[in-house]
Amino acid sequence: MYIYDMKKRSMQEPTFLILTALAAGPQHGYGIITDAEQISGGVTRLQTGTLYMALDRLRSAGLIEPDREEVADGRLRRYYRLTDEGAALLAAETERRRASAAVAARRLSVRLAGGTA
Amino acid sequence: MPVRDPDGAAVLERRYLRLLRCYPPSHRAFHREEMLGVLLDTARPGQRTPGLRQAVNLAACGLAIRVRRIPGWLAADAGQDALAVVSLITPAVVFILLALELAAVNAASARAPFWTPLLPFLPSFGKSVVVMIAWLAVVLLGLTGLRGAAAAIAAISLTLAWLAQLTASVQQSVFPPGGLLQFLGSAGNVPVVLASLAACSLALSPGPQRGLAIVGWRRACLMIAGLSAGFGFPAIVQLADPAAPIWDLAFRLLGVLAIAVAVAVTCVRSPVGRRVAGLVAAGLLPSLAVTIPLRDVPAVFPVPLLVSLLVAVLVWPVAIVSWRGRVSRASREAAAAKARRHEETIRRLERARRKPG
Repeated sequence: MYIYDMKKRSMQEPTFLILTALAAGPQHGYGIITDAEQISGGVTRLQTGTLYMALDRLRSAGLIEPDREEVADGRLRRYYRLTDEGAALLAAETERRRASAAVAARRLSVRLAGGTA
Repeated sequence: MPVRDPDGAAVLERRYLRLLRCYPPSHRAFHREEMLGVLLDTARPGQRTPGLRQAVNLAACGLAIRVRRIPGWLAADAGQDALAVVSLITPAVVFILLALELAAVNAASARAPFWTPLLPFLPSFGKSVVVMIAWLAVVLLGLTGLRGAAAAIAAISLTLAWLAQLTASVQQSVFPPGGLLQFLGSAGNVPVVLASLAACSLALSPGPQRGLAIVGWRRACLMIAGLSAGFGFPAIVQLADPAAPIWDLAFRLLGVLAIAVAVAVTCVRSPVGRRVAGLVAAGLLPSLAVTIPLRDVPAVFPVPLLVSLLVAVLVWPVAIVSWRGRVSRASREAAAAKARRHEETIRRLERARRKPG
């Protein structure tokens, strides 16, 4: 159901950032927050509530799954990894964003060319 | 580790744990420890209180997850059983409330003894009696297993009530006497929230017969009597004393208290009972609303219209989504059966091909 929705609509920014953060390998919650902030160039800092609501939804949709658990400083750290389905969806979204960006770049170049002419 | 003050860290941890109670138990069981770890990792050194933005975010996300899980909660076995119990008790409560209301109005007007409303030919009460008989039919049809017919009559009654309210709101530029208070109690002569619950539970559950099998006659009668007494408290008081000040806050609060006690005593001991309590508690909302001094709402603002639209918006999509879910489930099962038949045909063809000659 969620995947169906995602194909119909563009992916929300937090979802895109979380899936991207997990693309290179498994990460725990705090790691995802810091990585997502870095990926977005410091623009988006995920709140803990938002992160775990998204993780819960993505796990139910089969796009991510728990990888392993570790205890660090007396606290549980659960690592999540991208499933094949999640990777395919992220690839499709990346392609969609790339195509949109390419169109935007082309139109801007036309505008700039027109402006300088 | 950003939090260096051990006492402060313990206080912060306790406060975060309190905020995490906004999440459903299953979510807490899986994510609580890791969420707590992340929250403490992201805390500032010496921080003792969760930030406002973070607290709002945790509460909002917890509630959003709870809301998202409602369809699953109702589709689960316990949810279906709870809906079946609700489909047994709410139509009976609606019927009793209509009868009480009619009797109370009659007693207040002192035009006839309290049993007069039972005479359907009395012109001044004709419409109300028809509605009352319709809800008696809902109760009886449900008990005899004709759940669909019962749901249809309940839905028709409810829709007519909304249309009546809509027409009244459009026709009158100012509130009718009693305004929102009167509407919340009885729109088009039907207590809308309870009637909506009845219509939805009849449409979406295995039906009152299943509900009766779960709770039995004795508990069902107790629940119906308790809820009728609670919801119909003002009407009962008015029957005893037509001059009683039933709009007084104390009377309203007593009614709400009676419902809360009835629900708590009969429902909270099992998962099914707790779900029944949750559903019936929705019927408490109008009673709670009338305890708030809403008479100050500007008269030109069409609140009754908005409330009726809100109920319509909230109730019908649930029924439609559930119906669509059932249809798609049926289609999926049909498709799976078709695929099995197709595979069987292929296997038969292959076996026939392998046979010599």
